[in-house]
Amino acid sequence: MTSLDTQVVVVGGGVTGVAVLRDLALRGVGAVLVERSDLGTGTSGRWHGLLHSGGRYAVRDEESARECIEENMVLRRIAPHTIEDLGGLFVLLPADDPSYAERFVAGCAASGIPVEELSPAQARRREPLLTNGIEAAYAVPDGGIDSWSLIRSMVADAEAHGARVLPRHPVVGFERDGDRLAAVRVRDQAGGEERLIGCEWVVNAAGAWAGRVGALAGVPIEMIPGKGVMVVMASRYVRGVVNACRKPADGDIVVPQHEVAILGTTSVQVEDPDDVTVDPAEVDRMIDMCAQMVPSLSGGRVLRAFAGSRPLYKPPQQAGETSGDTRAVSRTFTVLDHAERDGLANLFSIVGGKLTTCRQMAEKLVDQLGERMGVEVPCSTAEQVLPGAEHGSHRLAGPLAAVEQEQDYGTLLCECELVTTERVREAVAGGLVELEDLRRKLRLGFGPCQAAFCAWRAAAVVCELGGSGGLESEAGAQVAGGHAEPSGSPPVDQGGGPERDLLGGLARFLQERWRGQLASVWGDQARQALLNHAIYRGIFDLDAEHQDEASAWGSGGLDWGQHPRDDPGADSLQQASRAAVGHELVGDGDGRGEE
Amino acid sequence: MLTDVVVVGAGPAGLAAAVRLAEGGRRVRLIARGNGFTHWGPGAVDVLGRVGDKRVERPLDELAGLAADHPYRLVGVEALRDGLDWFRGFAAAAGLDHQGDPARNRYQVTALGTLRPTCLLPDPAAAELRGRLAVVGIARFRDFSAALCARGLERAGHTVTSATVELPSWSHRRSFTAVELARAFDDQDFRERLAPTLAKAAAGAEVAVVPAVLGLSRGHEPWADLQRRVGLPLVEAALAPPSVPGLRLFSAWRRRLDELGVGWQLGFPATAVERDGDRVVAVRCEGAARPVVVRCSEVVLATGGVAGHGIEANRDGSLSEVVAGLPVAGFPSRTGFVAGHFLAAHPMGAAGVTVDAELRPVGDDGAPLLANLRCVGGLLAGHDATVEGSREGVALATAARVAASSGATDRTDQVVPRA
Repeated sequence: MTSLDTQVVVVGGGVTGVAVLRDLALRGVGAVLVERSDLGTGTSGRWHGLLHSGGRYAVRDEESARECIEENMVLRRIAPHTIEDLGGLFVLLPADDPSYAERFVAGCAASGIPVEELSPAQARRREPLLTNGIEAAYAVPDGGIDSWSLIRSMVADAEAHGARVLPRHPVVGFERDGDRLAAVRVRDQAGGEERLIGCEWVVNAAGAWAGRVGALAGVPIEMIPGKGVMVVMASRYVRGVVNACRKPADGDIVVPQHEVAILGTTSVQVEDPDDVTVDPAEVDRMIDMCAQMVPSLSGGRVLRAFAGSRPLYKPPQQAGETSGDTRAVSRTFTVLDHAERDGLANLFSIVGGKLTTCRQMAEKLVDQLGERMGVEVPCSTAEQVLPGAEHGSHRLAGPLAAVEQEQDYGTLLCECELVTTERVREAVAGGLVELEDLRRKLRLGFGPCQAAFCAWRAAAVVCELGGSGGLESEAGAQVAGGHAEPSGSPPVDQGGGPERDLLGGLARFLQERWRGQLASVWGDQARQALLNHAIYRGIFDLDAEHQDEASAWGSGGLDWGQHPRDDPGADSLQQASRAAVGHELVGDGDGRGEE
Repeated sequence: MLTDVVVVGAGPAGLAAAVRLAEGGRRVRLIARGNGFTHWGPGAVDVLGRVGDKRVERPLDELAGLAADHPYRLVGVEALRDGLDWFRGFAAAAGLDHQGDPARNRYQVTALGTLRPTCLLPDPAAAELRGRLAVVGIARFRDFSAALCARGLERAGHTVTSATVELPSWSHRRSFTAVELARAFDDQDFRERLAPTLAKAAAGAEVAVVPAVLGLSRGHEPWADLQRRVGLPLVEAALAPPSVPGLRLFSAWRRRLDELGVGWQLGFPATAVERDGDRVVAVRCEGAARPVVVRCSEVVLATGGVAGHGIEANRDGSLSEVVAGLPVAGFPSRTGFVAGHFLAAHPMGAAGVTVDAELRPVGDDGAPLLANLRCVGGLLAGHDATVEGSREGVALATAARVAASSGATDRTDQVVPRA
């Protein structure tokens, strides 16, 4: 067991935890963040990518609406490179209640959300694929935001101010000393050993999993994981965000991002935040409902569907009033001081909230925590721009322009998402545990072909950079007219551990892509799936042997308890002491998260 | 022009059926949506690579154990032998000699360094991997990594070195595809300049493994020439699509169709048939500017399964045969299409049209639905060509059956001996 000491341990590597880490670091507080998997793999990586204007809360949840519009403006200032300035419409359909539109406009005014009424003709000029039959439309400053890019930027800023990030370090327990938590016990999944992180304070920012972290610390926190299903279409369909102007319900939003559109969403209470299974009927419902606004969606090609768990919190006074629909639970956030609440002197939890307000959540929490710690430095996260902001707003055509500028077509590994060999090399050199991590870093495999061509090309890059004993050096000695491999980059795994199995990693990457398609395979996508199968199984002959290694991932929800990455197994590509999510790609403007 | 037989589909099954029918004197027309599996496959002739999870060593010995509705059971082992023999003759005449024997499978090396079971291999992929191997890649060619291939071969127990060579200067200095590269290898001067580098990269090895790009339009001659210059066997590893070996073969198919006077039109998806009682009298298709109706006395459907666009997988779990509306067993929900594991067998991959021994589609009662329409290749029920590694074998065997009995299929009383 190795030890490490810090002032504050932040548990949870989603946007909230990372925002807390950055806030602490900017105030000069020593902090370490621990995350059970890769950063942004929970709810922060499984959502529709909407930078809220607040319009969705304008009628029923003014507090959330106000928080959203405030933070919307802050994020546009400090993290423009993570944001696509889409704009949004709320459209009133003939079947909708016109009085809702009146309350919507009034609510926007009360919450400070700029809103502009458009005639149906104006709205259709702006969104040509909107249905003919709309009654009215209201324009609001919705946007698109890339959570993974935001996370990378905040981590880079936090690390530049002395903070540390330990991904793939799940918390396994706490060391208690009287009414205090003296240390956090984590397990290093790469090395397999447990580490003890001594600390003065602990922040539980585990989102939908906050109840589990609370239980390890001995405090009850009742979370209501609210599962939301989203459907990914193979093209954008709309220029900006399109919302239904009605009480939030299933299938009332279309968010364009990169080359796809995301349809959202459902809201169902589930027991387990890791339950992210998708029922085909939910996919059908999303399409049918959203097609009321954008009719051509109904004949469109569905790439896949996925679900995320909203981190909804149920205050004790509300306990007992459960209903299946979690939309009634406020989307605002709550800071829990467990000293007052549970007699545990040095634990804070932050629950509820949403991505758009992550910075404000962190500010409120660190204000309270700082007061108890005696930190007098004020919050500066709303003023300090993030690394990468100098690149300006994300534009859809940005990545293509970059490739064109470098005339780099030939080195494209992933044609769908315009990922070049060089980008993959950088990402691998920056530290990589799984081939799958390239998806969050580079969007590799997100496009219409669903990794038919890029996954094995990326495996080749990993192989070339990784070295393999005497293999290349032997060849290198023999080649005079050519060049030996690998070229230039340092080996990824210097530990000389067990032989890594790239084909197993490839099978797992493919299985992760496949998992999101199980409820949405038909039509063109069925042909695509069988083509991919004909490539990987038919041509490359990846078979049961490799499947076994993938199968531990399961075909339904993530089961972290039986996760093969818990085992310091055959395919750790991690550099010994390097954080898995590097910040070498900050500001690339090409990492927009969609799930 | 009068047409006896319309063949729909330009994959291995449709091409073989069209050529063989024309060789038998029938007036044939071939129409297809687009290119077929020649362009997508690894460029080998698979007969039976797997039964369940077991790799097959001796394909012919396993046929009797297949399910009764498997295409091989329907057409029999003699049709398979006939199909393979005929194919070898056809390919050799086109300068594309193949090696192998259906009595015993061989292994084809892939870009991942895996060894896929197959039956016949074109000469450039056929040499035995023995002794010390050198895997040689090409700089900036993204579809083949010598290191990755070597890693796989090493895992399979071979002694391997790997290297990457720079190409002599040519017109595509920065970026190129497999097809552009293959075209460059057609040029003798290019090969002459590359050979010494290749030889140096493979020095000390008994066999060199290279990406399957050694020539596009001159058969196996560029490969043979380069091998001679390098001085050791060169083995082409199968790449992801598009398949250069498949394109070589496709050119040969096209030339043969032209020689035989078979009209062929790609980009003409068939959309329906016109019937007169239990006979098809015409095939309708979408032309570039207008619908086209091709009248005929017989139809061979070689449109493929779900992957080939012959069967549409619908959102509600049902499956539709797209040209003649033939019955295909579907699923209660679309979740039935797929397996939870990507690399496992997906039920929709085995979906197809149920036929009799004459390859005529049948109804629930087993009686033929149409007297003069037959199905070949991937459209047939009872097999999953990807999972069991049987695509070309089924195509050639069913095309052989069609060729053997064409013109007599409307005689419902005809008895065809089964092997």
